[in-house]
Amino acid sequence: MKKVLIVDDDVDIRKVVSKLIEKSGYQAMEAKNGVEGMGKVREDKPDLIILDMLMPKESGIRMYHELKTEESLKDIPVIVLSAIPKKSFLRSQKVLDEFAGQSVPEPEAYIEKPEEPEELIALMKKILG
Amino acid sequence: MTNKAKILIVDDNVDTVELLTKRFHAEGYDTSEAYDGEQALQQVVEYQPDIILLDIMMPKIDGYEVSKRLKSYDNTKHIPIIMLSAKARVPDKIKGLDLGADDYIVKPFDYRELSQRVKYWVTVKVEVEERLTKIRQLEKELIQSERLAAVGQTVASLAHYVKNILFGLKGGVYLVDEAFKENDTDSLKDGWDLVESNMGRISGLVLDLLEYSRERKPEYEKCFPNEIADDVCKLTQESAKEYSIEIIKDFDPSMGEAVMDPKGIHRCLLNLVSNAIDACIYDSNEEKKWVVRVKTILEDDGMVRFEVSDNGCGMDEETKKKLFTGFFTTKEGRGTGLGLLNTQKIAQEHGGTITVNSQLGQGSTFTIRMPYRDVATSGATGKED
Ligand SMILES: Nc1ncnc2c1ncn2[C@@H]1O[C@H](COP(=O)(O)OP(=O)(O)O)[C@@H](O)[C@H]1O
Ligand SMILES: [Mg+2]
Repeated sequence: MKKVLIVDDDVDIRKVVSKLIEKSGYQAMEAKNGVEGMGKVREDKPDLIILDMLMPKESGIRMYHELKTEESLKDIPVIVLSAIPKKSFLRSQKVLDEFAGQSVPEPEAYIEKPEEPEELIALMKKILG
Repeated sequence: MTNKAKILIVDDNVDTVELLTKRFHAEGYDTSEAYDGEQALQQVVEYQPDIILLDIMMPKIDGYEVSKRLKSYDNTKHIPIIMLSAKARVPDKIKGLDLGADDYIVKPFDYRELSQRVKYWVTVKVEVEERLTKIRQLEKELIQSERLAAVGQTVASLAHYVKNILFGLKGGVYLVDEAFKENDTDSLKDGWDLVESNMGRISGLVLDLLEYSRERKPEYEKCFPNEIADDVCKLTQESAKEYSIEIIKDFDPSMGEAVMDPKGIHRCLLNLVSNAIDACIYDSNEEKKWVVRVKTILEDDGMVRFEVSDNGCGMDEETKKKLFTGFFTTKEGRGTGLGLLNTQKIAQEHGGTITVNSQLGQGSTFTIRMPYRDVATSGATGKED
């Protein structure tokens, strides 16, 4: 069974998304911040990551950059799920890119909360098949 | 101040320390020394080295343990560690590197090689630090740009908060819908729980907003202050447990029934305890055993004191200044920034006060003092024994 990891500090959002993942026929994994998220990714590589941006401990901004600059992890598709507008996110990634001297690709998809749950399910199915 | 890179040399062999100190001074580095693991940990805090040369076999705490501990703290894990040891076996090296050492050199070593490695790791550290600063700054900017939207800070931060709630609600409703279609009662329960929980969050928000905008007279009635505090601890227990935070109740047994405003006190304590839990959640020192203590004290001068303390992240100077300002929050769009303002308002409407004591990285204590009206002498200010 394919595994999908949801990283969000909000318990309710984790619950909702986990349920949506299971309903779509995948196995759900949960983490509540970037540090825990990276730990889970290393320990049990998921097939897809759904990532919130603003979280305590390590933010999604940083986790995304870490994922996409690590050779063995950079091919895991990521759906960003955040209340932050996509434009702001892309700008921050660009600044990070310039700084790191390497360019990080855009996420597979960007969902701005509160998008319809159906949209997230459709996206997961499209990416994972 | 100099901008020389600082090396901490740790070895129980005095000769080695002396030799290395001399050599590195000659190369223009600043150095400090420690002769056992305990001293090493202390020196790291006091001296704030840019790099550590660490012997393995030492009295008290050995090099492996020192390395393990330093790499587990957020504020020391970026300091490169080069292990120096006579243990040349491959398993020893692997153990050293596993426990976080960045490099491993076998004694007796070639000084030039050591010097090269030190130079390399100091450069790496500088780069990592620059990168971290940059990322932190970016995070701040990102949140700021959200807030500075044309609609204004207040509405923007409220909107962010509501967006999260809405997504939770939509998810809950979706699950309920599906449950009906598929006749699946488990899913119905999950969906409904989510709807309820998010309705609770909306009520909380609305209460905060109302409280903020209206003059409210305290509604005095008979109540047990300890029971109110106990209820608040119960309500917050679950979310605290999720983050391994312990809530400790420390109630004054001499506190009896009083005539106070139970709803007002409940809101105040709930705000303070939720903040204390958040402070632990936002604390980056994972080594801590987080504790939130809720204390009630009946004072001799006829006042009730409620104390909520935590050993979480504490506050910097800027936060301390803005604490009681409406809509000021450091919670990345998750807070309304109204809790403390309202708590202060309620306390003052009761003829009470609220004070704060906080230290960055150590934790905070919030204290509310309110006049206690004994049931027997209801209405009077003093109490009879
Ligand atoms: N116990 C605490 N420890 C550290 N910081 C705190 C604590 N309580 C409050 N604060 C700071 O004060 C800010 C305002 O608190 P509050 O008015 O309750 O709003 P909110 O909790 O919605 O952010 C918080 O965002 C936080 O930065
Ligand atoms: Mg609060």
